[in-house]
Amino acid sequence: MLVRIVMELEDVPGQLLKAFEPISRFGGNIQSIMHQRERKTPLGRVPVMLVFEIGDRARLNRILGALRARGVRVTQLGEREGAVRATALLIGHIIHTDLRDTIDRLNVLKGVMVSDLSLAMGDPGKESTARITIAADNEKRANLAISNLQRIADRKKLLMITSLEAR
Amino acid sequence: MRIVLVGFGNLGKGLSRAFIQKAGFLRKTHGLIPRVVAAVDEFGAAVDEKGLNLAGLLKTAEKRGTVAAYKGGKRGKLALKVIEDVEADVVYDLTPTNIKTGEPGLTHIKRAMLAGKHVITSNKGPLVVAFKELDSLARRCGIEFRYSASVGGAVPVIGLARKLLAGNEIREIRGVLNGTTNYLLTRMSTEGAPFEIVLREAQELGIAEKDPTLDIEGIDTACKITILANSILGVNAKLKDVKITGITRVRSEAIRLAREAGQVIKLVGVARQGLLEVGPKLIPVGHPLAVSGTLNAVTFELDLAREISITGFGAGPKETSSSLLGDLIDIHRTLGG
Repeated sequence: MLVRIVMELEDVPGQLLKAFEPISRFGGNIQSIMHQRERKTPLGRVPVMLVFEIGDRARLNRILGALRARGVRVTQLGEREGAVRATALLIGHIIHTDLRDTIDRLNVLKGVMVSDLSLAMGDPGKESTARITIAADNEKRANLAISNLQRIADRKKLLMITSLEAR
Repeated sequence: MRIVLVGFGNLGKGLSRAFIQKAGFLRKTHGLIPRVVAAVDEFGAAVDEKGLNLAGLLKTAEKRGTVAAYKGGKRGKLALKVIEDVEADVVYDLTPTNIKTGEPGLTHIKRAMLAGKHVITSNKGPLVVAFKELDSLARRCGIEFRYSASVGGAVPVIGLARKLLAGNEIREIRGVLNGTTNYLLTRMSTEGAPFEIVLREAQELGIAEKDPTLDIEGIDTACKITILANSILGVNAKLKDVKITGITRVRSEAIRLAREAGQVIKLVGVARQGLLEVGPKLIPVGHPLAVSGTLNAVTFELDLAREISITGFGAGPKETSSSLLGDLIDIHRTLGG
């Protein structure tokens, strides 16, 4: 999941490093940093907005715990747009059953986007495999996208393999 | 305890070897002296109320192909006669599974219960066809009925759930319950080989049957899910209630694409209230169900303990004798032994 946090750091050297360490220690992958120096708080702290990718909620909690332990104040926390990802495999005559139509039917859903597609072509006449990654704003939308994809797969006689956790 | 073995194939032989090997242990640790008073196979029976010599019985059955060749043995279809007439405490039904009729195990088990004998089985057939009927017949007859070996081989799925996790509400059971398909998917993943090739290899190694339909179409896993739903979740479910997808369409490219995303493909059975399902699923590498080779694994989702997973060998005569012996000791204890 993609997480956006805003934290307030003291305006002295070495503070940013102190905040980064737990994020990388628990497997977070920092994607962007924005220093909001112009929005300095009355106590002289500088808000910093960070966006990072992290495997799951448990790791995020560990990061937040470690930040707290280091005296870093987190003032905002939220999942970003397209933060929830769901992966599914499709096996069958994917191209001949109009792959573009399959993708379009997902992209019309609100808050849902096909963010990645990998295709392995079968031998001529044989079935192909596609891996589709869906990015959704939240879990509910991701589940809706997966169940829509399941209906499309059933209609096109494709075998769909979802993640064990997908409902 | 006086014991009748019905079925003397791999499991009957494996159990007999365990009786020989663990005789001292059973006596010392559990105060249990198993005495096999009869053994029956499809060709005949060997009976000795003083107790058969198991080493001799094994040798005879290996050499001559039937227990009927044992000293004083008789030829013919004798299972029901032995079950009803021979004085015994426990009947083991270890006959082959038939998931359509449950026979011959179903009749064996019913007759044994009606004759007041405790029953232990590894046979999925009778449980899939008539779980509720057998469960209530056992109660009516006041006998103990155990079937740990029917699901998970050596892995104590049913005992763990019903005994040690008894304080929990079990919300969901998920399991990799078929060693054959897990072997196939593992080999496809490690070798990048096509399904047909790894299937042939597994058949040559004796891991897959000549007719692998029940395994690769997911039906064996569905039988086990049916048994778990009945015995653990208390659902009155039949095999036809399980939505089944097999692994025959899973190509090695699919496994590769999954791996590139940090996932493996496993044939997983899922049971919860309102949903019984078997099908290939994506599982993150390192997840408790991402076991390789012929291993089985089960995860319970629980209200108090949250998640409990176990892994182990799902087949094999020696491994399965662990469950068959465990059931016997459990009955022995239940009866105050």
